[in-house]
Amino acid sequence: MADSSENRTELLRVSGIRKQFGLNIVLKGIDLSVSSGEVLALIGGNGAGKSTLVKIIMGIYQPDEGKMFLNGEEITAFRPSLSLSKGIYMVPQEPMLFPNMSVEENILAGFSEKHAELHSRLVKIMDDMGWHIDLTRKALSLSIAEQQLVELLRGMMRNAKVLILDEPTSALTFDEVESLFKTVRKLKESGIGIIYITHRLAEVFEIGTNVAIMRDGLITAEGKVEQFTRDQLVKALLPPNMDTLAVREDASSAIDYEHTKPIFRLENFSGYGFENISLEVYPGEILGIAGLVGAGRTELATTIFGRDKVLGGKAYLEDRDVTGLPTQKVIAAGINYVTEDRRLDGLFKISSVAANTTSSLLSGTELGKTVLNKKKETEITLKYIREFKTKATSEEQEAGSLSGGNQQKIVIGRALATNPKLVILDEPTRGIDAAARGDVYNIILGLKKQGVAIMLISSDMEEIVELSDRAVVMYQGHEKGTLQKKEINPTSLMNASFDVTDSEAAA
Amino acid sequence: MKNLKKFLHARESGSIIFLIILYAIVGIINPAFLAPESLMACLNDSVVFTLLAVGIAFVVLTGEIDVSIGAILGLSAAVGATMLRDGSPTIAAILVALVIGAVIGLINGLGVAYLNIPSLIFTLGINGVVRGLIYVYTNGAWVENLPAEYTLAAGNKLVGDLSVFYAVTIVVVLIFHWWTSKTRHGRFFTAVGDNIQGATLVGIPTKKTKVLAYVLCGLFAAAAGMIYTSRIGFITAVAGNGYEMKAIAACVIGGIALTGGQGSLLGAAIGAIIMSSISRILVFMGFSSDYDNSITGIMLIVIVVVTTVAQNRSIVQNRHDVLMARTLNAVKSDEKGGTR
Amino acid sequence: MKKVSFSNGMKKFFTSWEFVLTMILLAEVIIFATKNPKFLMPRVLLGSLNDIMSICYISLFVTFVMVTGGIDIQAGSIVGLTSIVIGVAWQDGGMNIWTAALLAILISALCGAMSGYFVAYCGVQPMVVTLGGSFLFSGIALLVSNLSATESYKGISGFPDSFTQLTKIKLFDVLPLQVIIFLVLAIFANWLLTKTKYGREITLIGVNKQAAEYSGINAKGIEMSAYILSAVSASIAGIILTSYLNTAKSDIGATLTMPIITAVVLGGTLSTGGKGSVAGTALAAIIIGVLKFGLPLCFKVSQQYLDIPVGLVLLAVVITRSVFSNPQVIAKMHRKS
Repeated sequence: MADSSENRTELLRVSGIRKQFGLNIVLKGIDLSVSSGEVLALIGGNGAGKSTLVKIIMGIYQPDEGKMFLNGEEITAFRPSLSLSKGIYMVPQEPMLFPNMSVEENILAGFSEKHAELHSRLVKIMDDMGWHIDLTRKALSLSIAEQQLVELLRGMMRNAKVLILDEPTSALTFDEVESLFKTVRKLKESGIGIIYITHRLAEVFEIGTNVAIMRDGLITAEGKVEQFTRDQLVKALLPPNMDTLAVREDASSAIDYEHTKPIFRLENFSGYGFENISLEVYPGEILGIAGLVGAGRTELATTIFGRDKVLGGKAYLEDRDVTGLPTQKVIAAGINYVTEDRRLDGLFKISSVAANTTSSLLSGTELGKTVLNKKKETEITLKYIREFKTKATSEEQEAGSLSGGNQQKIVIGRALATNPKLVILDEPTRGIDAAARGDVYNIILGLKKQGVAIMLISSDMEEIVELSDRAVVMYQGHEKGTLQKKEINPTSLMNASFDVTDSEAAA
Repeated sequence: MKNLKKFLHARESGSIIFLIILYAIVGIINPAFLAPESLMACLNDSVVFTLLAVGIAFVVLTGEIDVSIGAILGLSAAVGATMLRDGSPTIAAILVALVIGAVIGLINGLGVAYLNIPSLIFTLGINGVVRGLIYVYTNGAWVENLPAEYTLAAGNKLVGDLSVFYAVTIVVVLIFHWWTSKTRHGRFFTAVGDNIQGATLVGIPTKKTKVLAYVLCGLFAAAAGMIYTSRIGFITAVAGNGYEMKAIAACVIGGIALTGGQGSLLGAAIGAIIMSSISRILVFMGFSSDYDNSITGIMLIVIVVVTTVAQNRSIVQNRHDVLMARTLNAVKSDEKGGTR
Repeated sequence: MKKVSFSNGMKKFFTSWEFVLTMILLAEVIIFATKNPKFLMPRVLLGSLNDIMSICYISLFVTFVMVTGGIDIQAGSIVGLTSIVIGVAWQDGGMNIWTAALLAILISALCGAMSGYFVAYCGVQPMVVTLGGSFLFSGIALLVSNLSATESYKGISGFPDSFTQLTKIKLFDVLPLQVIIFLVLAIFANWLLTKTKYGREITLIGVNKQAAEYSGINAKGIEMSAYILSAVSASIAGIILTSYLNTAKSDIGATLTMPIITAVVLGGTLSTGGKGSVAGTALAAIIIGVLKFGLPLCFKVSQQYLDIPVGLVLLAVVITRSVFSNPQVIAKMHRKS
C-alpha cells in the first residue's frame, strides 16, 4: 500500500488540551493528531502526561480546556461510552479485565449484539491473528501477556478506528512482542490509526511512522520518524540545560577475582520459574542479571529473599546457609532486595519518607527495643535524603507525593539501611526520569566502592552494559551463560537473552 | 456435559448442594422434616430474609455494603402499617412503603457513588438516622390493630402449602436473577464489583449502576417490611434490628463474595433459605433453638474460610503452573517460545 | 529541607483532626452547660460517662484493627460472652470471681486469635469472619447461660462486693474508677500506636501489606495480634459492665457494635487502613457519650431518638471530609486564595 501521506485522512485531533489534578498541572496545552494508517509513537518520561492524555481521549477524564475532533466532528462530551461508540479504544498499560469472568465474557463485555454472532466474529479474528487462548478460562488465571492479548481483542472486536496502545510491550516476551508488531502492522495497513506509547526508543524506530515527544505536559518535538535520530529523541526528552547525565565515576577498580572469595553463592538453585541456577557474586561487584521478561529473574530474587518456596539447591552468604530462610532472617543475615514494582509492593504511599526508609529496620534492634527511636529514624532518613539527593520537603513528607525517581530513591535507601552485604536491585530505573536515573547509577557505584555485592536485574541492555562487572543471562528460567566484562555488549546480551548460541549467531 | 460442568462451577451450586445435603441429613434423622408441609414451611418462613438477602445482593455484587436495610425495613413497615391501621387502602400503604425504601436507597447510593464515602460508614450513619426516625414516627409505641385481611394474607396459600407471598417472591427473584446474570444491563452490577476501572473502560456507567443497586436494595427491604407486617401482625420500634447482618450472612452462605463481582441473586435466596431453616432444623433434630446463632456462626466461618483458602490455593497453584511451564519450555528451545 | 521543629509541631496539631474533635467537644460542653448548668457538675458529668465506658474501651483497640485495614464486628458478642462466663463460672462453677474474670479474658483472647488467624493467615475478609464470630460467640454465650441454674433472661447477680466495688470507687469522690481505667487504656493505646515499633508495624501493614512483608515485618502475626487486642479490650469492657450492672447476661453487649465503629471512624481512622488515631477515637467516643447524655438532660430529647444526632454527626463529618479531600475542591480553594 503506497505510503503517500496526502491520501491519509485525519482520524483524531486534539487541540489545546489542558488538565490539572488538584494543584498539579499535568497537561499544559497539547495539540496532536493521528491519521489513518499511521502509528504515532508517543514517548516521554514519567509524569510527562502521556497516560493522562490518552485517558482524556478515551473519555475517562475530562479536560479542563481544549477540544477533540474525530473525523472532523467535534466531540462535546468526554465519556468512555461516547469514545467507544466513535471508534476509539485504549489498551491500558495494565490490563483491566474482570478477574472472575471468563476470557470470552471479558472480551464481549459491553456489547449489545447477539452472542452467537459476536462469538463467531471473535473466533475469526483470533484465527486471523493466529492467537490461541482458551475462551472459557477465568481472567484471573491469565498471565500478563495473555491479559494484554485479551485487551487487544477487545479493541479489535470494536472495529476501532483509533487504537491506543499504552506501553504494550512492557510485560511481553520476545515472541509475543514480535507477534504484537505483526498485528500492529496489519492494523496499520487496514487504515486504523494507532497511538503507541512506549518508553523504548528502539520500538519507535521499529514500528512508528510518526513520533511525538512529551515532556512536562507539552509536546516538545514531533514529526516523521525518519526525520529523527536516536540522539535527537533523547535530547528532546531531557529537560533543557541539563548536563547530559551526571558524570559517572570511572569504576576502574577491577575486582580481583583470583584472590577474593565470593560473598554470595547459588548452587543448583531451583524454584518456581527457574531451575538449577548456579552463580557467584563477589564483594564490590555488580553482577548484572540480564534476560527478557519471563526469564525468571524476579522469581529468582524473591525466592532468595524468602517470599517463595525453594524447590532445590542451596544459597550461601559468606559460607552461611541462607537457603529457604524467611524474609526477616534473610534481611538479618545481610541480604536485601529492592522490588520490581515499587507501587505494588515497595512504597508505603501514605506514610512518611522516614517511615518508608526505616521499615526494614523495625525487626532488628537499631531503632530500639519496644519504643521507636524517632531520633535515630530521622537521622537515618536524613542521611539517605542527603546522600541520594532526594527531593523532599522534609522526612515527614508523604511518600506518595514524591516523583517516581525520588520514590525509587527512598525504596533503595530502605534496602541499604540494613547495611546488607548483598543487595539485589530489580529494575531500579524503571519508570523514572533521566536525571533520577543518573543519581541511581551514582548510588549503585557508590555501593560498589564500599564493597557491597550487587545483583542488578535489568531489562535495559544498556544499563547492564554500562554498570556490570560480569553478567549472567537467564532465558526461560535457565542460566544461559556468564559474561565477563569485556564480553558484555548489547549483541552478546541479546543473543544470550534469546538463547541464540554462538554458532547460530555466526550463521 | 458442558452445562453440568458450568453448573458445578457456579458459586451458587455449592450452596444448592449444601442445602440438599443438609435437608437430606435432617430428613434421615427425622423423616417428618421432609413432609411437604414441613418443607413448604421452611420456604414460607424464609420469605422476609429472602427479599432482604436478594436486595442486598445487588449492592454486594457491586462491591459495596449496606448496613441500613434493617432500619429501612423497620421504617417502611412502620409507615405502611400505620397507614393500614388508619384505614388507607392496602395498595397505597404498600406503595408509600416502597417509595420510602427507594428514597433511602437513593440517598445511600448517592452518598457512596457520588460523594465517594466508604459504603460501610455512610450506610452506618444512615442506619442511625433511620432507626431514630422510626422512634420519632411511632413515638415508641407499637403499631397494631391492623386490618385482619392484611395480616391473614400471610397464611394464604397458592398451591398446596406454598404461601402466596413466597410464590410471588420466587417469581420476582427468578426474574431479577435472570436479569442480572443474562442481560447486558443486568450484568453491570457484577462487572462493577469485579473491576470498577475495567468497567469504566468498557463504557459501563459505574456510578449509576451503584445507585441503582442501592435503590433496588431499598425497594426489596421495603417489600420485605410489608410482608413482615403481614406475617407478624404488628410493628415495634425495633423491628428489623440486626436483620442486615443476617442478610449479609445469607449472601455469603449463598456464595456471594463481599469483595464483589462473584455470586448471584439465586445464591442469596438459597442462603436465606438455609439460614432461616436452621431454627426449624434444630427443633426437628431435637435441639433447642438456642443453638441457632452458634450454628449460623460456624456455618458462615467454615464456608468463608474454605472458599477463600480454596480460591487462594488455586490462584497460587495457577501461578506456579505457569512458572513451571516456562522453565520446562526452555528444554525444547526450538519450539515457539513465550507463554503457553 | 527544613527540620520538623516545635512550631511545626504546634502547627500540625492545630490543623489536625484531633484539634477539630477537641473543638467539637468544647462546643458541645459549652452548649450543654449554658442550657443547663447542672450539666457541668463533675459528679453528673463524669457519672454520665459510665454508660458508654464499654464503647470507649473497645473502640480504642478496634482502632488498631481498622488501622491494619480490617474491621471487628464481633466485639459486642465477646462482651456478652465474658459477662456470662464470669457469672456461670462464679455462681455455678464455684470459682473465685477474679479467677473467673481471668478465665473470661483468656477465652476472649482465644476468640480474637481465631478470627485474627483466619484474617491474617488465611486471607479471609475481616468483615465476614467477625460477622461469623459475632453469631458464634453470642450463640456460645447463650449456651453457656443455659448451663446455669438461673434462667438466661434473668441474668446472674449478687456478685461479691470486692467485684462490684470496682465500679463504685470514686477518686476524690468524683472520678469513677471506670473513667480512670479508660484514661489509662487510652494513654497506653495511644503510646502503643504512635510511639512503639509495634504500632509502626501495625500502621505499615495497613498501608501496604506486601511492602511490609518485603521489609521483613511479621505481617501475619502482627495483624492477628490486633484482633486479639480488640477481643481482650472487649473482655475488659465486659468485666467492668458486669460489675457496674451487678448482672451477668449473655447479650449484654448486643448493641455495641455500631457505636464502636462510629467512634473509630469519627475519630479519624481511615476504613481503608494505614491511618488512624487512638487519641481521635478517644475524643470521638467522649463526644458521642457527651452527646447522648447532654441532649436528654439539656434539651429533653428522648433517649430513643439519640441515634439520629449520632448518625447525623457521623454523616456530616464524613461528607465534609470527603468534599474537602476532593482534588478539584482543593484546586478551587487555592485559586481563590
